[in-house]
Amino acid sequence: MSFDFDYLLVQWPALLDGLWMTLQVSALSIVLSLLIGVLGAGIRLFKLPLMSQLVALYVELIRNTPILVQLFFIFYGLPAVGLKLSLYWSGVLCLSLWAGAYQIENLRGGLATIDKGLCEASMALNLQSRQFFRLIAIPIAFRISLPAMLNTAISLLKNSAYLQTIGLAELTFVAVDRIATDFRAIEMFAAICVIYLALVAVLALLAGRLEARLQRPFQL
Amino acid sequence: MEFVIENWGFISKGLLMTLKLALVILLFTTLISVVLGTLATLQSRPLRWLIHAYVELFRSIPLIVNVFFIFFGAPLLGVDLSPFAAVTLGLTLWGSANGIEIVRGGLLSVARHQWKSAWALGLRTWHIYVYIIVPQSLKAILPAYTGLLTLLVQATSLGALVGVGEFLKVGQIIVERSTMMGGENPAFTVYSVVLLIYFVICSALTWFSRYLERRLGRTSTRLSQPLP
Repeated sequence: MSFDFDYLLVQWPALLDGLWMTLQVSALSIVLSLLIGVLGAGIRLFKLPLMSQLVALYVELIRNTPILVQLFFIFYGLPAVGLKLSLYWSGVLCLSLWAGAYQIENLRGGLATIDKGLCEASMALNLQSRQFFRLIAIPIAFRISLPAMLNTAISLLKNSAYLQTIGLAELTFVAVDRIATDFRAIEMFAAICVIYLALVAVLALLAGRLEARLQRPFQL
Repeated sequence: MEFVIENWGFISKGLLMTLKLALVILLFTTLISVVLGTLATLQSRPLRWLIHAYVELFRSIPLIVNVFFIFFGAPLLGVDLSPFAAVTLGLTLWGSANGIEIVRGGLLSVARHQWKSAWALGLRTWHIYVYIIVPQSLKAILPAYTGLLTLLVQATSLGALVGVGEFLKVGQIIVERSTMMGGENPAFTVYSVVLLIYFVICSALTWFSRYLERRLGRTSTRLSQPLP
């Protein structure tokens, strides 16, 4: 069986639909995961009683279980106890919770690098603790966390392919669906591999640009 | 919970399959990572580029696409792969892409002057590796590599999608079976238990990784942990 480009041209619109769904789900989940990350890192930073332990448990739970099982738990397990979510929202919930746990750790890692001396220096300058966070701690921590946060976002995009397993019509689903009828596995998978590679490459490029831009104030 | 007790024999079979998958993949991953990771630290530019391309390729493609490509694509190329072999191959390609980076980073984390001092003492290249570079690089490599092993164990759950009778697949079968026999839907209980058992296994590995990090002393270069 030879490689059939014409087949891909015919299937192109379907793949584009899948790509659009992948991008939509990923973008929404990235935003939500950042919200979870900021909230969770804040709770951990200020050591809110009970909440802080719960966040720590959540992070460990997500990081030490397969995302596929998390997805099945959300999509098949939760409806059994009366919590039914649509396909789309199950997918978004799963990806956001997954990436959110990593974002919490990324942000915490950045905040951990803030030296105690900085805090003391700002106290000596009579800055209030809110000013210290807004003007000093957060800008520095954010720059340090940024590469890891962008990596997590890229991973989220790749992991959106898992949503194929619950039947959300994203890129991988479209490909597998067509293969089931046309048996053009090589063409289809080659096509989506190229698409994923391009997406990751573009995102990595943008991430690099953003990092360089944020480093500019530190360059002499 | 009675689902778990009733099906314990079945579940333990699934768990064994998961461990078998993880061990086989770990073995191949380690072989490839050590060889290619070491080659990637050498001077030869084409070689470095080739290895870099391999690493970037398999780290950029979603793991599930990688496994599906091999599982559905191989028969069309006239290669008959069992589900077990397909998952092993797919996860090994991905795992070794991450492992190569860990080994390479670990070897490069050993300060340059260690090489120069060893040369000055007239040691052979082979001896320099065995007595000087490898012991020091293990400090950086082992914690990160244990982290990779955690991810490999998690990734074996992909076997369920192509029909390897591993742990997640067993869970799926138990849910299907009792749903077909009528009665209440056990999906919540079963998937909770599956999550919990994965959590116990992977937490133990994560704990071991942190223990190694503490025990071996923190190196100046912390290798980036791979993401699933």
